[in-house]
Amino acid sequence: MIRLLAWIGATTLGGLAALGRLAMFTSSTVRHSVTPPFYGREFGQALFQIGFLSLPVVGLTALFTGGALALQIYSGGARFSAEAVVPQIVAIGMVRELGPVLVGLMIAARVTSSIAAEIATMKVTEQIDALITLATDPMKYLTVPRVIAATLVMPVLVGVGDVIGIFGGYIVGTQRLGFNAASYLQNTVDFLEQRDIVSSLVKGAVFGFIAALMGCYYGMSAARGASGVGAATKGAVVAAAVVILAANLILTEAFFAI
Amino acid sequence: MITVRGLHKSFDNKPVLCGVDLFVARGTSLVVIGCSGTGKSVLIKCILGLETPDSGQIKIDGTGPLLDRFGMLFQGAALFDSLPVWENVSFRLRRSGRSQSDLRALAIEKLGRVGLGADVADQFPAELSGGMQKRVGLARAIAADPDIIFFDEPTTGLDPIMAGVINALIRDVTTEMGATTVTITHDMSSVHAIADNVAMLHDGKVKWHGSRAEMASAQDPYLKQFIAGASDGPITSLR
Repeated sequence: MIRLLAWIGATTLGGLAALGRLAMFTSSTVRHSVTPPFYGREFGQALFQIGFLSLPVVGLTALFTGGALALQIYSGGARFSAEAVVPQIVAIGMVRELGPVLVGLMIAARVTSSIAAEIATMKVTEQIDALITLATDPMKYLTVPRVIAATLVMPVLVGVGDVIGIFGGYIVGTQRLGFNAASYLQNTVDFLEQRDIVSSLVKGAVFGFIAALMGCYYGMSAARGASGVGAATKGAVVAAAVVILAANLILTEAFFAI
Repeated sequence: MITVRGLHKSFDNKPVLCGVDLFVARGTSLVVIGCSGTGKSVLIKCILGLETPDSGQIKIDGTGPLLDRFGMLFQGAALFDSLPVWENVSFRLRRSGRSQSDLRALAIEKLGRVGLGADVADQFPAELSGGMQKRVGLARAIAADPDIIFFDEPTTGLDPIMAGVINALIRDVTTEMGATTVTITHDMSSVHAIADNVAMLHDGKVKWHGSRAEMASAQDPYLKQFIAGASDGPITSLR
């Protein structure tokens, strides 16, 4: 019994300590983001890596999901003669929820893992120490460019994902389910509200911040050796995915609470 | 120039440095020797400011560590994988306002000083052998003409001939620059090639400190055992 209590206590304290370290890392990242020096080239490279190179995976994910969503809504709606709502539900589903969340999770898989593995490898091969001895702050050189780039580029990726997802629904709706093309598009446009789009883009920015921050935090905290790199990468992806889903609930509540 | 007094450092309540005292005069070369795990790397990281000591003082010309004055050659070279060799070498100077072509020219000049040709400049670290990586690391360490240069196990993992080449390069380059150097190693050939003075670290303390000439006649049992590589003596190790 004592052992169990000790284990619970140690686990709780360990969890709180980890939360504290993450909070300090986050605040340090924000502080460094607004104080010079700024590394423009690293920011540009991060923008390209996180933004442009993620377009194919974001586009394909959104396309297939939008198409599948149209089929599901049509099939489900048929149970109470509501097949006609396919364009509206695909639009609202993609823009409010599936677009930001799926893009966030795909970015967590593609970008968070890559950032965590790269920085963790730099840590175990003493490249981070080398940066410090070359009078370069690793937070400014490695973390800030990636976090700012992800925060800025994610709304664009989510916007692209939203449009391609709706397009996927449109293709299935018009080619497979027999919807009229013009009325499908008209229903989509008429039904979406400004706050749907704003919420989608804000979610994108928040998820981008989380994805890059987790990659950098776990990379910087990596233990020694190859297993340390592996553990950092796995931890970063899991943490990013869970925090993105939790943040999604909070943001949805904030935007659409009745 | 470098003064270390009463330096203590522990990790997870395990003491690594237990009151280290050292002095390195300007323009001289100190080599710190000792068995693996005696805290040599921790000592150098404390001086560099990469680790925070639990207690003790480190003074560089009477002030604290100033990274702008330091150069460092890491054990594994620690070159940045994502940058070509010339950008690695000129990394410290990239924010000095110089043009890219100036930085590249400077990097090629420094590569020349460590015996590498301009053809290496555009290669990436992964394309180089271990010896070439060490040379690039040395070129990076001296690129900004620092006052103080640290070498962490400069010959580890190299064949004897390449180790000799690196030792000679370190000696030539640092003598030419007039830099103060601190080298940590357990390679006695490096000690003979590089050192003006030698300090032996054991159990987190400096057991012996003297000139290279004095080392040969020193009677300290720890130093004698280390130099001889003998298994019998006050230094115990697991077999």
